[in-house]
Amino acid sequence: MKEIVLLALAFVFFSGCSEHLVRVMPYEKEYFAQDKMKFDPLESRAEQDGHFLLIREASAGGESAFQGGCGCR
Amino acid sequence: MSIVKKLFLFFVMLLPASKLFASDLKDSASVGMSTYSGTGDVQVYSPAFAIFKTLTSQFMLGVKMRLDAISAASIRNGGNPVTTDAVTGASSKEGFDDKRIAATIMGVYSDNINNLSAGVYTSDEVDYKGKSVFASYSRAFNEENTMAGIGFSQSDDEWKPTFSRELAEDKRKEQKVDLSFAQMISPKWNVQFVYSYLYSDGFLSSPYHFVAQDDFSKFESYPDERTGKAVAIKTVNLLSEQNSMNFSYRYYDDDWDIASHTYAVEFLRDFSDELLLGARVRYYTQSKANFIKPIGEYSVDDEYFASDYRMSAFDSYMIGIPLIYKFALAGFDDIKLTASADYYWTSNNDYVKNWYNEDNIKAVSTTFMFDYQF
Repeated sequence: MKEIVLLALAFVFFSGCSEHLVRVMPYEKEYFAQDKMKFDPLESRAEQDGHFLLIREASAGGESAFQGGCGCR
Repeated sequence: MSIVKKLFLFFVMLLPASKLFASDLKDSASVGMSTYSGTGDVQVYSPAFAIFKTLTSQFMLGVKMRLDAISAASIRNGGNPVTTDAVTGASSKEGFDDKRIAATIMGVYSDNINNLSAGVYTSDEVDYKGKSVFASYSRAFNEENTMAGIGFSQSDDEWKPTFSRELAEDKRKEQKVDLSFAQMISPKWNVQFVYSYLYSDGFLSSPYHFVAQDDFSKFESYPDERTGKAVAIKTVNLLSEQNSMNFSYRYYDDDWDIASHTYAVEFLRDFSDELLLGARVRYYTQSKANFIKPIGEYSVDDEYFASDYRMSAFDSYMIGIPLIYKFALAGFDDIKLTASADYYWTSNNDYVKNWYNEDNIKAVSTTFMFDYQF
């Protein structure tokens, strides 16, 4: 429960202070529409990574993507 | 009230705050295949497809299907590819040994400021059933320079071992909560932070792995609860008009005393308006779980037994090549082909040697996917 409260507080904090952060104007955002400027430029590879690295290693998390259950884990 | 119910109510409460903005949702379809081939004679061929259909300008329904056709000595030999015929007595190399069918149905709401998605997932294998629900919400602030998001998933899975082993607990439940925050730093630089909280309980080891010593053998036994946390930072930079580089770092630790660091760097280059190629490198290192012992040093009275290398300390490495190619075909414009090939290997490991009779894990992973937006 403590973690959930902290997450909610962090969400509110980031929401509230965002107006004071850097502002890139809409006409300056052309690069972010390109594939090479995405955090996960290949969605299918990101899904495959998420699946097989979760099987091969003991760590998880750190990506905001969902991975379903699998007996190979 | 469970965490899942609380988060569900949280998402429902956010909906009235959503204003009506334009949306970029589009109908789309994708079809492709991924493959995995690695140590232990494991080969997995995974055809997959996905269809997303807009119902209104701001709401979309999607279906994803994936079939894993698995061939593995570990399945044929009851868990141990070295100890022949340990449980099942099977030894055939013909055909596939297991199939996993996974389906995801999800709804997506987006008005470009608020993005909400939720869905259900189910998978079925010969010895494992998976069921999950998931939802995520993100909101853009600061003229869409800042994105904050929260997501959760809850799974309720069940083991059905392929031989007559009675498990005291055959359930495995997992909860995951993610908090993400992304900020544009400049027109050429974007940064994202992610915090994840993970909780698992139930039967958390494999029903097949075992510890075998001269005087006894025992199936693996792990603690029945695990709590982990991960923090990650990702950044993507435009180096020049054609070139970009992304970097990510993740720190993970849990109450089994496993801690890990993951570093990844990728370079991408536009060779033309249609073709993007790149290269990536990943390094991973983890410490051992607090209950694993060196091979041969267990006593029959120990509470926990582990023989799986994933509970030991090891490093891993991955190098790979990504490709994106856009083209038109038979009247369909803007078809996008994404493909990747990666080679993965771990450091030499005694537990891998003991189980697979090889010094380390080696694997090749590929993906091949066509995407089309209507």
